[in-house]
Amino acid sequence: MKFSYYPGCSAHSTGRELDESLHNVCRHLGITLEELDDWTCCGASSAHGADPYLAVALPARNLALAKDDVPAVATTCSACYLRLRQALKHVREEGSPEGVGEIREDLDVVNMLDVFLTDEMTEKVAEKARNALEGLKVVCYYGCLSIRPPDVTGVDNPENPVKMERLMEAAGAETLDWPYKTMCCGGSLTMTNIGSVHRLSGEILDMARRAGADAVVTGCPMCFMNLDRSAFEIQRETGKTFVPVFYFTELLSLAFDGNAAKSLLKRHLNDPVRVLESRGL
Amino acid sequence: MSEQHVPSGAIMVVGSGIGGMQASIDLADAGFKVYLVERDTAIGGRMAQLDKTFPTNDCAMCIISPKLIEVGSHPDIELLTGSEVLGVEGEPGHMKVKVLRHPRYVDIEKCTGCGECAKVCPIERLNAYNMDRNERKAIYKRYPQAIPGAYAIEKRGTAPCRDACPAHQSAMGYVALVAAGRFDEALDVVRRDNPLPAICGRVCAHPCEQNCTRNGVDDPVAVRSIKRFLSDYEIEKYGKPKTPPPGEDTGKKVAIVGSGPAGLAAAYYLRRQGHEATIYDAAPKAGGMLRLGIPDYRLPPEILDREIEAITGMGAKLELNYPVGKDGKNTVQELMDGNDAVFLAIGAHDSSRLGLPGEDAEGVLHGVDFLRRVNLGDHSEVGKKVAVVGGGAVAADVARTALRLGAESVELFCLESREEMPAWQEDIEDLEDEHITINNSWGPKEFVLEGGKLKSVQFKRCTQVFDDEHRFNPQYDENEINDFACDTVIVAIGQRILAADLLEGTDGVELTTRGTIKADPVTMQTSHAKVFAGGDAQSGPSLAIEAIAAGRRAAESIDRLLKGEDIRAGREWKVEVAIPSIEGTKPVPRHHESKLDLDYRLNGFSEVSEKPLSAEEAIDEAKRCLRCGICAECMLCVEACKAGAIDHTMLPKIDEIEVGSVVLAPGFDQFDARAAAEFGYGRWKNVLTGMEFERMLSATGPSEGHLKRPSDGVEPKKVAWIQCVASRDQRMDHGYCSGVCCMFATKEAVIASEHAGGDFDATVFYMEMRATGKGFDEYVDRAKNKYGVRYIRSMVSRVDELPETKNVRVTYLDEEGKSHEEEFDMLVLSAGLTPTDGIKELAKRLDIELNHYGFAKTNNFDPVGTTRPGVYVSGVFQGPKDIPETVAQASGAASFAMSATAGGRGTQLSTFDVPPEKDFSGDARIGVFICRCGINIASTVDVVDVAEYAKTLPGVVYSEEVLFSCSQDNQENIKKRIKEHNLNRLVVASCTPRTHEPLFQKTLEETGVNRYLFSMANIREQCSWVHSTEPEKATSKAKDLVRMAIANAHHLKPLYKRPQSLIQTGMVLGGGLAGMTAALQLAEQGFEVTLVEKNDRLGGNMRFIYRTHDGMDVQKHLKELIEKVQNHPRITLYLGAKFYKTGGFLGNFESEIKLADGSTRTIYHGTTIVAIGAHESKPKRFGYGEDERILTQMTLEGQVWNEPEKLKDAKDFVMIQCVGSRDEERPYCSKLCCSQSLKNAIQLKEEDPDREITILFREMRSYGLKEELFTHARKLGVRFVRFDLDHLPEVKLDGDRPTVQVHDDTAGWLTIPADRVALAAAIDPAEDSVGVAELLKVPRTTDGFFLEVHQKLAPVSFASDGIFLCGLAHGPKPAEETIAQAAATAAKAATVLAKPEMMVGGQVSVVDPDKCAVCLCCVRACPYGVPVISSEDGAAYIEPAECQGCGVCASECPGKAIQLQHFSDAQIAAMTRVAVAENFGELPTLPAQPNRDSDQTRA
Repeated sequence: MKFSYYPGCSAHSTGRELDESLHNVCRHLGITLEELDDWTCCGASSAHGADPYLAVALPARNLALAKDDVPAVATTCSACYLRLRQALKHVREEGSPEGVGEIREDLDVVNMLDVFLTDEMTEKVAEKARNALEGLKVVCYYGCLSIRPPDVTGVDNPENPVKMERLMEAAGAETLDWPYKTMCCGGSLTMTNIGSVHRLSGEILDMARRAGADAVVTGCPMCFMNLDRSAFEIQRETGKTFVPVFYFTELLSLAFDGNAAKSLLKRHLNDPVRVLESRGL
Repeated sequence: MSEQHVPSGAIMVVGSGIGGMQASIDLADAGFKVYLVERDTAIGGRMAQLDKTFPTNDCAMCIISPKLIEVGSHPDIELLTGSEVLGVEGEPGHMKVKVLRHPRYVDIEKCTGCGECAKVCPIERLNAYNMDRNERKAIYKRYPQAIPGAYAIEKRGTAPCRDACPAHQSAMGYVALVAAGRFDEALDVVRRDNPLPAICGRVCAHPCEQNCTRNGVDDPVAVRSIKRFLSDYEIEKYGKPKTPPPGEDTGKKVAIVGSGPAGLAAAYYLRRQGHEATIYDAAPKAGGMLRLGIPDYRLPPEILDREIEAITGMGAKLELNYPVGKDGKNTVQELMDGNDAVFLAIGAHDSSRLGLPGEDAEGVLHGVDFLRRVNLGDHSEVGKKVAVVGGGAVAADVARTALRLGAESVELFCLESREEMPAWQEDIEDLEDEHITINNSWGPKEFVLEGGKLKSVQFKRCTQVFDDEHRFNPQYDENEINDFACDTVIVAIGQRILAADLLEGTDGVELTTRGTIKADPVTMQTSHAKVFAGGDAQSGPSLAIEAIAAGRRAAESIDRLLKGEDIRAGREWKVEVAIPSIEGTKPVPRHHESKLDLDYRLNGFSEVSEKPLSAEEAIDEAKRCLRCGICAECMLCVEACKAGAIDHTMLPKIDEIEVGSVVLAPGFDQFDARAAAEFGYGRWKNVLTGMEFERMLSATGPSEGHLKRPSDGVEPKKVAWIQCVASRDQRMDHGYCSGVCCMFATKEAVIASEHAGGDFDATVFYMEMRATGKGFDEYVDRAKNKYGVRYIRSMVSRVDELPETKNVRVTYLDEEGKSHEEEFDMLVLSAGLTPTDGIKELAKRLDIELNHYGFAKTNNFDPVGTTRPGVYVSGVFQGPKDIPETVAQASGAASFAMSATAGGRGTQLSTFDVPPEKDFSGDARIGVFICRCGINIASTVDVVDVAEYAKTLPGVVYSEEVLFSCSQDNQENIKKRIKEHNLNRLVVASCTPRTHEPLFQKTLEETGVNRYLFSMANIREQCSWVHSTEPEKATSKAKDLVRMAIANAHHLKPLYKRPQSLIQTGMVLGGGLAGMTAALQLAEQGFEVTLVEKNDRLGGNMRFIYRTHDGMDVQKHLKELIEKVQNHPRITLYLGAKFYKTGGFLGNFESEIKLADGSTRTIYHGTTIVAIGAHESKPKRFGYGEDERILTQMTLEGQVWNEPEKLKDAKDFVMIQCVGSRDEERPYCSKLCCSQSLKNAIQLKEEDPDREITILFREMRSYGLKEELFTHARKLGVRFVRFDLDHLPEVKLDGDRPTVQVHDDTAGWLTIPADRVALAAAIDPAEDSVGVAELLKVPRTTDGFFLEVHQKLAPVSFASDGIFLCGLAHGPKPAEETIAQAAATAAKAATVLAKPEMMVGGQVSVVDPDKCAVCLCCVRACPYGVPVISSEDGAAYIEPAECQGCGVCASECPGKAIQLQHFSDAQIAAMTRVAVAENFGELPTLPAQPNRDSDQTRA
């Protein structure tokens, strides 16, 4: 199974642990990710608010780069995912914007979570999870952009998505239902209004603890950054402690490779290792 | 020929909720036979699930229960429960309906409703009646008061395990019992179908498991292990098998040849029937193949001994070393001669042979022979290296036995590939465990001998075992040879039967070409009538359980033969196998019996499956069962049912029923709130739906009426309701308003507050309060002011569960767009109404069209007519509506249905005889029944104590307390007790006589006791409900009330009604839409009608209306309607006529009218329909009358549709709603104005999109499907501004055109210029309504509209019999509701007019003329104006047909000349006396009444 991979800006910078763990998981599961040649910014949080042409053209340009032998362009970042989906919808309905190459008619944009969630893959995950995450209680956090608006993202249950839970359960973790799965983490306000981010992310982390979770799991590098950073910064200011945040790919790597996967976790601001150790992982 | 043209006298009603029941009652009372089809097992529908009803707060069950009983006991209503319509053919008057009748598995006639069956049933199911919030059994009664009162079994079919078992054991049955921990009963179930459970629990090849539905998920349920667990449990607990006692000796003798499983089973079942059974066996030990063929490590001999001893313990005789046949001690012929029947079950004990040279050499053995030798104790060693030839179960046993006899290595050779091997998978696993090599695809070629002794076996490669047609046809590659050196080879390739020797010299018993004994597979009878055969000898080598089944079948046949019965009847196994969907079923690991360690295992013949499942493991394993059949067919219910009512063999059938028309009332479902996921239903524990909350409030609900949070069972103190969940919601294609939820939620909030006893915080999050019905706005005001219910106009955006408390937090936006959060203990979602599941299918079968929401397609002029003539519709299936509207519409649909087949009336009615009256003279013999009313009474009053107390009172010969005195089974109980104890008086202490007295009176009548010998004490409304905090005092009061009722009973006298003729014509007052519809309906039904209209033309308000909400041309329809009325031969029309006098009574009214020319007419009529309408008021505000551009909405309507040129230059329109409605002057909602304004606004905007139209409103009450108008208007750009009473809009006339000022919550004061200001003026009652009310002596509401007798269930009837009301005279409403109501009055009138005579008298006032002083007190006091001074005897006279039995005259009469019968002074005095003391005084004795007047008949 092969996909064109759109890493987005964070995968090679703030979200390196996501990128690395993702590739590691894909290797285990027999998935080939081929990074798009000459990919560029998707427009992220600013283009769609600033310029209707660029809002589509930027992500569409990347879609045009997809190879012929892949079913879809895959990504992990929620913002990238939404921009690419939005562009795809626009192209389907109104054609490619000017100056952007042809986009294959059968091309799709997928979230990596969906790639891992076929029956075949979850079976493989369960099989490969030699160091199953038993005893670890997690809450899954989806944030907004991979879910909403549902007519663009195509998710079945936008109020209560459960796909990440299924994957975590396949890897042996215990998942808890909680009300803040799709609450906003503050998103791109991290650049302009860190106070709001601290408040929103802080509430999410608080709720995770109240729900009885050991950790929050997410797939989005922006969400991760906001949560991890807020935990670290609030902790520094107030001494309050928070549960750690993981990428789901990090936990899958851990389940597949055990301690060998822990080196990735060094990059976290809010120490995740203690929790793992306390659960015998 | 002519008969074909007479329309049918029967009508079918589909759906038995309140609408379906009402239609049925009306139809049956009006002379039609009714078939009432209901999908469920009981009637009652949704209303039976409600706790209370708005706006009267009546208990829903209390008011519906009499209707249930009326329907259930109506002689002309035939209930078809568990049924669905498959299709309809024909035209109105002549229709044929195909009805599928699902089996109930319980005979309704026999079932007494005792519930013993449900006590033993092991299957728990979610209780749909309680909205899945608790569980009931698979055999169940939908609810305690259900009609029919019989239980029913929920069954999907027979579970595949049972179907697959050759003996058809109820595997699911005992598995379910084990899951419930009920091991003893499970054991009984096992033993019923299998006399050898300990054996089958070890060695059965378990076809049940192969067919287990769980195979599709993970592994089958370990049925065999569960059976073994039970048999081990049996021994541990009882020390020996729990066999039943033998039957009573019949003197019949049966010989059984062969002591294998078939012979043993036959002996067991023959002994149970009391026949003598003797088993003959050639072997020295009993057990047949079980003993000789199965190695001890699989079946320890002591287990077999025990089971055999159990059977001999029942009296079966065992003759061992007793060969039968050619060289035996007896021939079969001799046994036949000496016995009444013979059963041959000799098995297949001869080994098949390869037929190769050297097969008899030393070292070459054969499978079955080898096993027999070993099993009989010959443990002589085999060689060191052993080859086994064969791939079946015997080969596996042989190989493993050889290993245990000391072989160093054993290898198995077979033709088949691994996949094709006939051995069971578990055999193969055991072989592998024991390191026995399996060599596949080898066939023996040659035995290589050396010195007469085996040296090796040569095998050739087998290339194919079966040919293309799956026949055994092995092919070899002779070039590939495997020369396997060994000392012993054991050939285990099959068994043969030696039946020919057995039967030599026997007459008439034939063999098959295969050499087996020929016998019928169902009866096991051979070609000789008294000889039967079974087991391997008959079937060829097969399973032990197959042999057991054959033995049992043979025993059954022999028993029938010996009793002279048909041995074949009803014995074919014909079932529907149930296979449920396994989607979403989670895998659960299977429990295994633990096996002996390999080291111990091979050291002798110890049982390999060392330990059975523990009790916990067995329960866990049993819980893995997927309950394929739902009902487990354990048959415990059959044993428990003393009435013999249960029959599991019932099959579905299809009836074809001839009717004249069909009324559809299939009701609704509550929308699945899961789809509105933002509210968390199904995810957060403390989020319920309205219907669930309703069940929670109900005494028969899952928490027995206690408020309990689902998460922790704690009583919630703070509860919120969210309105419009999936109503008015475009996302879910539910663009309509559900019409009922505003009031429903308000009622729930009020009732919950009452339950909680004050300390309760109720909040309703709503968009718009649509309290459109009569008295609804007042009800909401009471909720706010008296109960403190908080109403928050808002949009709820999310609902979260807080992890620690499981409280729910609601996030909402208020009217100003501000976000708020608030926490609640519990949340109730007002989920909308939606057409029932499967409605599309029903519509297709009936060939009727649906609208895009799935409601029946109707139009505003024909609100009950579907797209198919002769098929009518009512209730929510026609569109969302509440109960009164449903009831009215149901009666309306009934009227249309009667019109469609009017000629058939009275042709199919039942005739029934009331039993002759018994002699009840002499001393009172009183029976007392104290009702628990579920917990309504019993939770406060100690009913047991009261019942005991009653026994001590004079005249009481019987007393008991009952769960629901009104239930049908209790009526049967009362009848039984009356007969048993020769009772002549009945006292019931329960609820109000108003609803329930007729029920008990009917019960009395059916027992031959006069219906007036009945006395009732109300210990619910007047005791338990009002004294719920003081149980002791309440109990004491209940005793007082019961004592009074008993005192009353002593003084009761029988009363008789007499027939009175009636005038079979109707009169309708009012010639508007309502009056014309009512008149036309009556006329179409075949009755003469007089229509009286005060104006000189017909049409009423309709003349000023141009379009209906659904866009139909009103004037066109009106013209047609007027023509029909004017030309109808049965309608006499008086225009310009003043109704000024009326008198008479039900069936015999006499009215006078004055015509325009001054002449008068006298009209004689049986019923009166009041349809005098209402009118638009003249506004007093907003500059009305000061400027012609300010006009009423009705005037605007005329301009919009009829005089559009007048609006040519008008661009800006402002419409003001609620002008004069819902204010202090008129507190009521005028109901039709919102949609009228919307309709006109839409037309104006569509005509000219540049027009600016603003509607100023308080609430947009576009209820039901009219919500589409609101949506459409918004889409067109009509502006809506909400105002409230504190900020009334103002109309200014100081400029060149009017301006309207209005205050908006977000924008503040707005000034809107207008070319027209349309005022939605309130609807006022008709001016002459005061006069008409006085003439008819009928009541009006404080608002001035006529007041019906019961707002919920009698919406078109007055308290005065024979007088009905409809249309705007009843209250403001749109045309479609008016039409339905008008037709309803016609149906009600028909129930009176259809009968040539009626019964009068009974509980009425009677004047003693000798005592009458003609003081006129009674004449003045009677609220109905009944008493007159008779010209004959100069005394007051009270017409019995008119008297309402209220007793006012009797209480007023100063001369004591008037007695209200059944409430005589003697009764009142006796009751008063015992109220204060237990002094009953002198008790009267009723004299014998030898000469009851022959013209006096009981009603």
